[in-house]
Amino acid sequence: MSAIPASCTMGQMSDGRGIMNKVLLLVFALMALVPAQAHHVLGRPAYSLNEDSNTPPSMQVETQIGQYDVTYMVFPAFPRAGERGRVNLYATRLDNGQAFAGEVRFTVRDDKWFGDKHEETLGTQLPDDHVYRQGFVFKEDGDYIITAEFEADGEPYIIDFPLRIGQPAGVGPIGVTVGVIVLILLGVNLLKRKQLARVKVRYARDELPQKAREQ
Amino acid sequence: MIMTHPGLPENWAWLVMAGMLVGGIWLLLASVPKSPRMRVISLASVPLLGPVVRKLAASRGVLLLLKVLTVLVFLLVIVAGLFGTPIPERNLATLLTWNLWWSGLILSVFFLGSAWCAICPWDTLAQWLVRHRLWKRVDSGSSLNLRVPRWLASVWPALFLFVALTWLELGVGITTSPYATAGIALLMVVLATASLALFQRKAFCRYFCPVGRTIGFYSQLSLLELRPIDGDTCARCTTLECYHGSDTIEPCPTWLVMGRMQQNTYCLSCGNCGQSCPQQNVAWRIRPPSVEALHSARPHWDEAWFMIGLLALTGFHGLTMMPFWETWMRKLAQVIGDSGQLLWSFSIGLVAVMAIIAALYAATIAITKAISHSRLDFKRLFSTFAFVALPLAFAYHMAHNLNHLVREGSGIGAVFANPLGIDTAPLSMMEKHARSMHMWLSQDTLFALQALLMLLGFWIAVQVIRYRGGALLEPGSRWSRLRLLPLLGFAIGITGFHLWLLMQPMIMRM
Repeated sequence: MSAIPASCTMGQMSDGRGIMNKVLLLVFALMALVPAQAHHVLGRPAYSLNEDSNTPPSMQVETQIGQYDVTYMVFPAFPRAGERGRVNLYATRLDNGQAFAGEVRFTVRDDKWFGDKHEETLGTQLPDDHVYRQGFVFKEDGDYIITAEFEADGEPYIIDFPLRIGQPAGVGPIGVTVGVIVLILLGVNLLKRKQLARVKVRYARDELPQKAREQ
Repeated sequence: MIMTHPGLPENWAWLVMAGMLVGGIWLLLASVPKSPRMRVISLASVPLLGPVVRKLAASRGVLLLLKVLTVLVFLLVIVAGLFGTPIPERNLATLLTWNLWWSGLILSVFFLGSAWCAICPWDTLAQWLVRHRLWKRVDSGSSLNLRVPRWLASVWPALFLFVALTWLELGVGITTSPYATAGIALLMVVLATASLALFQRKAFCRYFCPVGRTIGFYSQLSLLELRPIDGDTCARCTTLECYHGSDTIEPCPTWLVMGRMQQNTYCLSCGNCGQSCPQQNVAWRIRPPSVEALHSARPHWDEAWFMIGLLALTGFHGLTMMPFWETWMRKLAQVIGDSGQLLWSFSIGLVAVMAIIAALYAATIAITKAISHSRLDFKRLFSTFAFVALPLAFAYHMAHNLNHLVREGSGIGAVFANPLGIDTAPLSMMEKHARSMHMWLSQDTLFALQALLMLLGFWIAVQVIRYRGGALLEPGSRWSRLRLLPLLGFAIGITGFHLWLLMQPMIMRM
């Protein structure tokens, strides 16, 4: 936003205000045409920043389980190893919107396809103004799964959320791609050599009796 | 927080409906000529432009330059996706791939046919890796040159991969993940390379590539076609360089003979035919977009299913971007006990929409067969009238993508300046509003274009019903045309559904 220069006269300022009012009116009219909705696509991470608040960007996932709508937020949006971070969780009933008030237990495990997943308990929390806050510090970068567990109406609720600490390795997919392509090309080359050798042998077999007959 | 774009206003919808009414009445009352009058303009014969077109069709340099450029941009997308910010609206990989390329590609097909396939970076990289040459002909390179097995030699694999891509795009949400976007791009290069290393010519482009086949089918409705300048020259030709290639130019990658070409479906616009033809008898022509759907394109069972699949998937695409889709998913998730990303609920929704559209179409064909007492079997009618689905799918796909392109393309300049999105924060609400307000066209122009596209799609569908119906069903009295009413009902129902989708507010992609 640019400041009004000192040489600006009163008349110019009122003209400027008039334009500003018109612009604001237009902005509000357009905002009314483009309705904004305060929710996320279910189960998808969304990154948000509100310029009116001094909170850092957060990563947010909204989903549902059984009778509850669960919102999970991670601060900061991109946590790193050795940095303090926090998970916020809200759970409200789908039928009447009432917030869950019992205990929630948070655990964490490695998000691996194979090998030891090594689960640890982060803590058990009670709500603070309907929000469950769980702090964390990770020693190493990687993919983790945070599990929130609670019990409501005699039913156990277990819900997993992904958490990425640090940047994912970019070299991995490139390495896999190059590796697979090299394997394919090597395999095809080997097969072609075999084919060629077979053709040579067949050719030699056909040639020899013909030469013998000619002699 | 997500934002929605306003839908098509009611006035425009009334206009489209009035057009549909006129089209429907015309179908029932107007007489059908034996063959449609189709005027084509060969670009090679246009004064001043003609020599340029001929030169471009026979030149390799321009195409190679474009290929190199697309490969460079593609590699930048990979680097940005793997090493850049995970914020989708700040990363070149997601913004360029989903907001610009995928949206613009479908629109480009209408004007340029399958031009994208000629410069596709997946195929170019595969070609360089397997053939070890930038462009000159190589007998086999590192390829086994196997025949494609009969069970794979159809468009079923492409349809399956298109459904899988839709599932990944809308269900898993790779459109909002730069890392996953780059991963999919790399996977496509692996698939193209593997296919080129195993099979003859470009089997990947002809049978497997979901994007290529989508472009191929839609290009039946393109304004542009690559055809012989003089049909007699092709009829006299005995060497068929277009099919076999020349000493330096590769043969047609999809086994087409230029002299017998009737439809764009499998043409990759690579220009090999033009470059290898010793008579320089191949050129681009401008034509009415309906010519193939009306009579030139030949019906096939697998291709009919691909067209019905396109119709179902385009509608499904639109449906998932409506705010009420989430409410439906929530309700379904509650019934089946789904949680997390609600992938089961999404998958059920996808299968259900595809099944409903296929069942509706099959029922339409069954009723048409029953009331017309046709001796033709169900399969033949199903394959032939599937061309009705193509303009309906294409028109809605273009209208939907136009919304994305016009309303969400404004951030692309900033992303090109910082492709990896280094040190950027997520878009604030003010920036999101600013982006959605900086449209590439005025909102009224966008609505007018959307309405026109819907009318165009419906009009071509009606024409297909007239011509294909007239040619296929036995002639009778004037009122015998009422036998085509079920097909007209199908076209009206689908256009009405698409119109309703366009009238809803649509969720902004990122």
